[in-house]
Amino acid sequence: MIEIKNICKSFEGREVLKDVSTIFEKGKTNLIIGQSGSGKTVLLKSIVGLFEIDCGEILFDNRDTHRMNFKEQKLLRREIGMVFQNGALFDSLSVEQNVRFPMDMFTDMTMKEKTSRLNFCLERVNIKQSNHLYPAEISGGMRKRVAIARAIALNPKYLFCDEPNSGLDPVTSILIDALIKEITAEFDITTVINTHDMNSVMEIGEKILFISEGLKCWEGNNTQIFNTRNKKLNAFIFASPFSKKFREIRQQEDDE
Amino acid sequence: MKFNIKRVGVLYHIGQYFLLMVRVFKKPEKNSIYLHQLVLEIEKLGIHSVGIVAIISVFMGGIITLQLTYNMVNPLMPSYIIGLGNRDTLILEFSSTVLSLMLAGKVGSNIASEIGSMRVTEQIDSMEIMGVNSASYLILPKIIAVVFMSPLLFIISVTCGIFGGLITGPLSGVVTVATYMTGITTMFVPFYVYFSIIKTFVFGFLIATVPAYLGYYVQGGALEVGRASTKAVVNTSILILFFDLVLTQLLFK
Repeated sequence: MIEIKNICKSFEGREVLKDVSTIFEKGKTNLIIGQSGSGKTVLLKSIVGLFEIDCGEILFDNRDTHRMNFKEQKLLRREIGMVFQNGALFDSLSVEQNVRFPMDMFTDMTMKEKTSRLNFCLERVNIKQSNHLYPAEISGGMRKRVAIARAIALNPKYLFCDEPNSGLDPVTSILIDALIKEITAEFDITTVINTHDMNSVMEIGEKILFISEGLKCWEGNNTQIFNTRNKKLNAFIFASPFSKKFREIRQQEDDE
Repeated sequence: MKFNIKRVGVLYHIGQYFLLMVRVFKKPEKNSIYLHQLVLEIEKLGIHSVGIVAIISVFMGGIITLQLTYNMVNPLMPSYIIGLGNRDTLILEFSSTVLSLMLAGKVGSNIASEIGSMRVTEQIDSMEIMGVNSASYLILPKIIAVVFMSPLLFIISVTCGIFGGLITGPLSGVVTVATYMTGITTMFVPFYVYFSIIKTFVFGFLIATVPAYLGYYVQGGALEVGRASTKAVVNTSILILFFDLVLTQLLFK
């Protein structure tokens, strides 16, 4: 479980996050949604420690990151797996070397153990016969899957995904969403996903936090979100002509 | 008006540079991984520069030989001065300073663009989240590789330069092999070699760290990475010349 309390963050006087508080639950896929520039990525990067927050608290299973010393913070980071928007795979390393990197760096596993874990992770994300390819030689969807494999290589307690579906076709997006949801349930980890993809919201939004202009505007789950009367959230959800039509049909059904 | 340290420019960058160096020289997470990286960097930054260093040095040795002949040799000067002049020019300035300027272009731009690209594609963030000291992992092997390969490249350059003179001089008929070799072995001052090796250590450190700093803190996209790369070459070159001046004054005094 990750709890954030009254988080604020500003860049050169411009407030990006304003007093945001929530709880991301264990074993669930927690989604942060909002328009581009609403502060989603800043919130995610603040939680993982890439940005230092101006005020507030971040607690990983009741462990306050601000009260941790450098060594404790480093140990905490080894419990975190992160999937970046473009995968952020190391260009100079092959698929296999990318996934093995955290094991090489932080464990004393034997080569046999590493290979076994590597094969398990790659199989888990359905990557076959691509071990020796380099990131430039694989597709966007595969890159995301390799990034997920690398993120789960050390059995993390917390998984963060920054827009895992961006740049992917709808079919691959659904596969990636399903994979993240399965992994979350299978390993009982706390997963936080940053997205503005409404398919993801509907498919895997077990807990949803909606952010607008740096403020928490709404939170709930994927069944509650379509019944909300929050104007900003409705404007976000029903922005496309297709979803507007869907809303009209639903309102007609409600009226009848 | 609020004080903004970034506006001070040079002071801000000097401070940031030294803070980065503190992170770079922290104890590595795993020595075997760093050693593996070091071998790769020695190959990439050092061994791959041998060819260009050798080619440039052979030509420069030949050119210096011809220039010395046409500008210095007269009936009052012994002709072995050609070999002597070529050797001392190569040892004192060309193979240390000029070669380092060339390496600042080749190696420096490579380092800045590699690290800069990793920054803008979030690969460095990815390392940080894993708990890896990205500054140390990415920069320390490069520093060690360049600092220790620079004296080696210096020796290769001097050898190739002398060889270049040895080919050009007799072939163009300005000096015989025997006279040229007499010049090479006459009035040799070993201190010149020590002095130049000290310089190459300092220049090697600058060639690795200044571009690494500019690449590490790049913000934006491909355009900014390109800018950082250009800036790295310019700044490193200026610093090499500045430290050449300082070291010459300090060590020859």
